[in-house]
Amino acid sequence: MLTQIRILTKLELCNLYGLNVFRFSKDKKAKKKSLSLLAIWVILVAMLVFYVGGLTYGLIYLGLEAAVPAYLISVSSLLIFIFDILKAGSVIFRKEGYDILCALPLSKGAVVVSRLLKMYMEDLLVTLAVLLPGMVVYAWNVHPGVGFYLTVLLCIGSIPLIPMAASIFIGALITGISSRMRRKSLVAAGLLILAVLGIMYGSSRLSAIEGNIDSEMLKNLSASMMSLLGKVFPPAVWFGACITRGDILGGVLCAALSLAVFAVVAAGVILCFQKVCQGLYSNVAKHNYQMGALKANSVLSSLCRREFRRYFSSSIYVANTIIGPIMGCVLSGALLVTGTETLKKLLPLPIDIGQVLPFLIAGVFCMMTTTATSISMEGKNWWIVKSLPLSAKNILDAKILMNLLLFLPFYLLSELFLIFALKPGTGELLWLLLIPAAIILFSCVYGITINLHLPLLEWESEVRVVKQSASSMLGSMGGIILAILCAVAVGIVPEGYAAYLKAGICVVILTATAVLYHKNNHFFYLRE
Amino acid sequence: MLRIEHLTKHYKGSSKGVTDLSLHIAPGDIYAFIGHNGAGKTTTLKCVAGIQDFDAGTIQISGRDIRKDPLACKRQFAYIPDNPDLYEYLTGIQYLNFTADIFGVGAREREERIRTYAEAFEITASLGDLISAYSHGMKQKLALLSALVHKPKLLILDEPFVGLDPKAAVVLKGIMHSICTEGGAIFFSTHVLEVAEKLCNKVAIIKDGTLVASGDMEIIVKQGQSLESIFMEVVEHADTN
Repeated sequence: MLTQIRILTKLELCNLYGLNVFRFSKDKKAKKKSLSLLAIWVILVAMLVFYVGGLTYGLIYLGLEAAVPAYLISVSSLLIFIFDILKAGSVIFRKEGYDILCALPLSKGAVVVSRLLKMYMEDLLVTLAVLLPGMVVYAWNVHPGVGFYLTVLLCIGSIPLIPMAASIFIGALITGISSRMRRKSLVAAGLLILAVLGIMYGSSRLSAIEGNIDSEMLKNLSASMMSLLGKVFPPAVWFGACITRGDILGGVLCAALSLAVFAVVAAGVILCFQKVCQGLYSNVAKHNYQMGALKANSVLSSLCRREFRRYFSSSIYVANTIIGPIMGCVLSGALLVTGTETLKKLLPLPIDIGQVLPFLIAGVFCMMTTTATSISMEGKNWWIVKSLPLSAKNILDAKILMNLLLFLPFYLLSELFLIFALKPGTGELLWLLLIPAAIILFSCVYGITINLHLPLLEWESEVRVVKQSASSMLGSMGGIILAILCAVAVGIVPEGYAAYLKAGICVVILTATAVLYHKNNHFFYLRE
Repeated sequence: MLRIEHLTKHYKGSSKGVTDLSLHIAPGDIYAFIGHNGAGKTTTLKCVAGIQDFDAGTIQISGRDIRKDPLACKRQFAYIPDNPDLYEYLTGIQYLNFTADIFGVGAREREERIRTYAEAFEITASLGDLISAYSHGMKQKLALLSALVHKPKLLILDEPFVGLDPKAAVVLKGIMHSICTEGGAIFFSTHVLEVAEKLCNKVAIIKDGTLVASGDMEIIVKQGQSLESIFMEVVEHADTN
């Protein structure tokens, strides 16, 4: 069994982040793409390191050094929990290679453990990226004893285990439930969205707890913070306390507890692995079709229908891209219920919230467009559209149209909530409607641009495209960064000029969209 | 119908590819393209289908250049790769309707053609099922149906008989003959030399990316010999040269 786990884990890890392809590919283009992806990762990790380092320094400056380890452990655990919930089902019950592995003399336990170990390695990297810079700043300022370093070394490997176990439990449960349904992908996507919304609701409840901290508690901010973290994720406080005290025995106990929790969940997954896989990959063929009258459609309509069917066939694709519009609607709805005053309290910005609200909503909508990964999602089917008499414009228009049609009902609902909440005048109403529409349109076209330049057509799992590809990362930034820049610009100009600036912003965004759209349709990649 | 002139395609960092390949396929031809694994058959077919760009040479379909006028060329032919990865999230009939829509085939015409060919290949009852539930052979049949639904003038097929049951193979051969009788042409790769010998009027043999023999089957396969022995002879002769 151990040999099997070793061999399978080696296989799983050898192409982590496309490393094996990079090592052995003779295609210089592919190598350049891998290097550009690596550069993006380095930039993101560098940003994270600076952020965590600065945050740690700030906490120490405020005299909260005792809470630093627990706080950092909570942050890394939350990151692992959210990302793993979305991908756990797709990674553990991955279809690719399932038949081959089943035919080999391997135990299903070894297969599951190797997949879990791959997830663990990725999560350990997240933990290291968050914890190491923070701990360096902490050690530099606090000068702890040898026990601190030993406990950190002892604990750091076990910190990802509990959030992993929790997300694997939820992810496996969702996959298990959906495997019994006819429309597996849609059910899985629905449950994943519910899980993420549940986490968001939990976070909002947490804010409420934070808001109720009284003046007595503020006197001992460090203890308040530990108490708050204890309510959210107690293991973070236990680990944190062991690290700050340099308590090696406590660290060993915490690590053992984490391992035990993880082992229980892993055992559960191993037990249900084959049943869930069979449910997921056994196709029901009715074999009773009778020819009837067929209907002809236009090329665009036919391509757009295909895009929708592709979209709804992948739970992770749906869950990742629909969450932005849902959050947009939730925010607008919350604004209608609670009023703008609550938002002003939550976001104490020195600007008029009503002025920047259209940008904020647009930014939330564009957290992840479907277009940013729509070409990569074609994968091994790409030959079909390339061999058909379709122009780049035909193919790309369908992808953009699908994204816009998907967002449309959410946009309309969100706008309706906002109109009732803000009761704008005629001029403000125009900007309220036009600005989010322009930013959404830009984001969809920008997503295509990014994916055309950074396509990933050879993948084993959709997770690689949706969660780990360069185009998914860069594609999600375009709309958000644009929305933030515009909001800042509108927020800082005198109120009398805001309308002119908004008009200018709309013209610039729509012009940029038109330029990108034109360039996309003439991109060489599609003509090859 | 199809004119390939001095086609050259090399992959960066690899010795594989195609060098200075020229072929002419006339209406009515069933042209077999044979060679060992990695000889350059699929690369050539992909270049002809407009899926892969090439370094030098020209490819013309009905007088139009695949590079300059790819859409007009693609309206003339249908291409099926050796392992047709189809949209698994669509049902068979949805996939056929999709292809028919792209080629602008009318409702009545597509209905007639799908009915005829689906019955011939015996997959009518499965057309309502998701493609993910299809076997390899059924996928191959569906890919053939999607090619035939728009009545192409040129069929470009990569190993079309792999995975087909014996009856479907016979049906396909009949369809290939009828396309050629109506003035169309077939260009296909195969490893089954007996099929190539009996079915085709022309043959091309490729070795390490270079065309080593091409022309009428009757001229290439001399009396009393088989295509298999000619293939071995030609390939070995190319080796010694």
